[in-house]
Amino acid sequence: MNLSFSDKLLNRITYIALIACSLIFLLPILWIIRTSFTTKAVAYQIPPQWFVTPTLDNYRAIFSDNPFGKYFFNSMLVSLVSTLIAVFLGAMAAYWIARSSKGGNFLRIAVLVTQMLPPIVMVIPIFLMVKSLDMLDSWETLIVTYLSFNLPYMIWLLIGFFETIPKDLDEACEMDGCTKMQAFTKVVLPLAAPGIMAAGILSFLLAWNEFLFALVLTGTGSRTLPVAIANMETQQGVMIAELCAATVIIILPVVILSLFIQKYLVNGMTTGSIK
Amino acid sequence: MKKHWLLGIVTILILSLVTACSSGKGGEGASSSAPAASGKGGSKKELNILMETVPDTEMVQKVTEKFTQETGIKVNIEAVNYASMHEKLVPQLLGATSSYDLIVVDNYWVGEFTDAGWLEPLDSFIKRDKFDTSVYLKSMFDMVGQVEGTTYMLPFYNYAMALIYRKDVFEDADLKSKYQAEAGKELKIPDTLEEYVNISKFITKQKGESMYGSVMMGLRPDPISVEWLNYLYSSGGDFYNGDNTLRINDDKAVKALELYVDNMKNAAPKGAAGFGFDEAFNVFAQGNAASFITYNWMLPKLQNAAESKVAGKVDIASVPGGTSLNGGWGWAIPKNAEDKEASWQYLKWIESFDAAKERALLGGSPTRKDVLADSDVLGQFPHYVKVQKILEASKMIPIIPQAPQLIEILGRELSEAVSGGKSPKDALDTVAKDVGQLK
Amino acid sequence: MLSEKRKSFLIFFLPSMIVLAATVLYPLIYALFMSFTDSSLKRRGLGDFIGLDNYIRIFHDTHFIGSVWTTTVFTVLVVTLEFVFGFIVALMLNRIRFGKKIFFTIIIIPMLITPVAVGLIWRLLLHPDLGIVNYMLSLFGVEGHAWLGDSSLAMFTVVMIDIWHQVPFMILLLLAGLVSMPSEPYEAAKIDGAGRLQTFWTITVPLMKETIIVAILFRAITAIKTYDLIFVLTKGGPGTTTEVISYHIYKQAYTFLDTGYASAMSYLLLLVILLLSIAFIRVSRGKPQAQ
Repeated sequence: MNLSFSDKLLNRITYIALIACSLIFLLPILWIIRTSFTTKAVAYQIPPQWFVTPTLDNYRAIFSDNPFGKYFFNSMLVSLVSTLIAVFLGAMAAYWIARSSKGGNFLRIAVLVTQMLPPIVMVIPIFLMVKSLDMLDSWETLIVTYLSFNLPYMIWLLIGFFETIPKDLDEACEMDGCTKMQAFTKVVLPLAAPGIMAAGILSFLLAWNEFLFALVLTGTGSRTLPVAIANMETQQGVMIAELCAATVIIILPVVILSLFIQKYLVNGMTTGSIK
Repeated sequence: MKKHWLLGIVTILILSLVTACSSGKGGEGASSSAPAASGKGGSKKELNILMETVPDTEMVQKVTEKFTQETGIKVNIEAVNYASMHEKLVPQLLGATSSYDLIVVDNYWVGEFTDAGWLEPLDSFIKRDKFDTSVYLKSMFDMVGQVEGTTYMLPFYNYAMALIYRKDVFEDADLKSKYQAEAGKELKIPDTLEEYVNISKFITKQKGESMYGSVMMGLRPDPISVEWLNYLYSSGGDFYNGDNTLRINDDKAVKALELYVDNMKNAAPKGAAGFGFDEAFNVFAQGNAASFITYNWMLPKLQNAAESKVAGKVDIASVPGGTSLNGGWGWAIPKNAEDKEASWQYLKWIESFDAAKERALLGGSPTRKDVLADSDVLGQFPHYVKVQKILEASKMIPIIPQAPQLIEILGRELSEAVSGGKSPKDALDTVAKDVGQLK
Repeated sequence: MLSEKRKSFLIFFLPSMIVLAATVLYPLIYALFMSFTDSSLKRRGLGDFIGLDNYIRIFHDTHFIGSVWTTTVFTVLVVTLEFVFGFIVALMLNRIRFGKKIFFTIIIIPMLITPVAVGLIWRLLLHPDLGIVNYMLSLFGVEGHAWLGDSSLAMFTVVMIDIWHQVPFMILLLLAGLVSMPSEPYEAAKIDGAGRLQTFWTITVPLMKETIIVAILFRAITAIKTYDLIFVLTKGGPGTTTEVISYHIYKQAYTFLDTGYASAMSYLLLLVILLLSIAFIRVSRGKPQAQ
């Protein structure tokens, strides 16, 4: 392919800008990684000691003092399951809203309204309800509770993506005799893959980072990572080195996971190629 | 058309709410690994305790293994961070039953919790089992033990504040002679707040950014409040007069705040107005400050080389002026606990002399006089002689139902005085006004 | 006999509605009831009905009014900056061929960190005396700041930290929008010889409109509800410079235990967000779409 001069120049600028951006994001992360291998006394030393003999004590501490592996598993399970349910239900609902001629605006606002109340006042009735059902400290409870924000956001995000897909495409399919469901799964879903992927990642992360519900609704059995991490801020100080170690442990698997799934997001399936 | 299906949605919503609730009940049996559903009838085989994440909790955990061996009762300790404990506890105490058999209560929640009737009085247990409560330090027992004659708690650990300082700085010959020349007085651990602030400003002036006279913590609401309360109490001020009228904006209080602001602006590190406990601790631990008003158990932490660069150079003293802020946590049994007898059996055990001493030897911070004076404990922690004196002279935040609100309001206004441009008098007048309006 | 329309309603829409009814409807209604009572966390049950007293009280609460302004500043800054920055990065990512995966992976890392940890870690980095940021600045001869302890800087610092943490959300959404755009209009524009900027304004922006609306509203609503970052970073201080509404509500509910009043403020907040959202959708979508 022949690139014009201005294209080449723009490419170069783009790369330079992207590298600069990445550094902004990356430098604090590198500092977190470095801190995770130090003691607290070294972590706060200024001017910094650039070459420290790394210690693995922090990693050892988080796994021996806490069942950190269990918390990780809890977080993963709760976030994944609630996201999968939200994607499954949300995609259908969003499609229906996006294609319904009347009430589209009303419904999309109505879905959003459920998210306009601060979680602080929502958590009290939810706690009372869960308590009366005797379901505190269970994964099921967290998964269902997380749907209360995951599903509306999912619907809301996906409506936008479905609307960018031309109506004619699925209508044409329905003309050809497929059902609405077939039109949805065969035509619309593949086209909306990047959007669904993005919304899925978002909803996973909302659940992954959720703190308040997890704090109030879990005990030791289903405790999630954000609650476990918050416990590293104690009345006797922040266990900053352990906290950094925990953060590294949390980031790593998700980064690896994202390398696999982003294929669908970044490259998508270019809409134009569907004929 | 539109109305038609709006109506439909509303009906469906209501219907599904009903079915969701009832089906939720049905599914209950299949649910979860909840530890809450243990021990029906008779003595419990498992106890659930909600505690704060501090080293003292880990010590309790270690010692408790013995209890489980002796009695066969399993003890689950759920530790939550300090900032979240109130959110975690309050909904639990509100319900008909609690997931917890035993909890720990911070001293400034005591008024609120007892006023709301959330805590079980312990007097009948104490009387029946002849548990001796006179072993506790009076200042601890009055704070996290009894309220108006009823015993609701047993003191768990103390966090009275004290002055922690650098021995080497206060003994520095060069500084000493310069201070003598400038102030006409000897540089030593000061007896009054005025002198403390003067010395603090002097050291900062001499050493600049490499050594601040004192490191302070101006973060809202707890750090700044608890720090300033040392100034208030040590200069003879208080919240209330004997007749329960507010005196938080009297001359002594205003003077205490002026000194505090002076120290913050002219001696403390420039970011101190935003420091929490941890930032301040680290400034001191890195060797950049000569003094620090903080919890007495920060001393062993500052003597630990993994956390601090000043290990071996630190000592403890009373807050200049002599009256520091007392603090502590107490054990309590929630009123809605399932089996209070079982809770008490454990509480009695963990607060017995042997268990309390064992915790103290692990580094726990004692509340019992006999533990503080024990020769093994003193052998390991000689500074407990001073700590006991500090504890005896210290004063607490008033035990009133509105104490958390009080701290919130106080913290906000102190912060306004330090960095918002309000004058000390105005800030304290606002505190008096807002606190007076609390229901 | 069910019409085709009814059937699709049942299959596509009803399941979500049932889940939402079971999870959010009850708390929403409960909180609405609470807002008309003097309910307190100190008592069991809802408390006594006191009509509109809580709502009237809001307008006498000087700290609430102060926090409205703080929240407005915070939200406008955060949403605008994140949108602009996020859109630029998304456009760049969409443009390049090589290294896309690596850049993307790096950029999304911050949002994997839980807000409490983000706050605590930035407190480490921004420590005025012992933080690496001020140290680095000093190497370049720039004097460091008391980022969170200086009342004139605290809001700026909180906004910057929020951007670092949340801009990946914006990038993710906008990139997904860009990736799923059809290529035909671009090819047509190329043939017509349209310039880059022209293409951007006449093709990219209109085609991205739905995604942009969604992304901005999503971010605005989550920004207005921010309280955890404030809680960890400044607790509303120094003074009241970073006291946002959600943190104010949080304190009313959990420090003052005044759930009735907290619910009333929450519902007022809901109403305001709702009106703004409707206005925003109306304005940005123009007339409701004809077909």
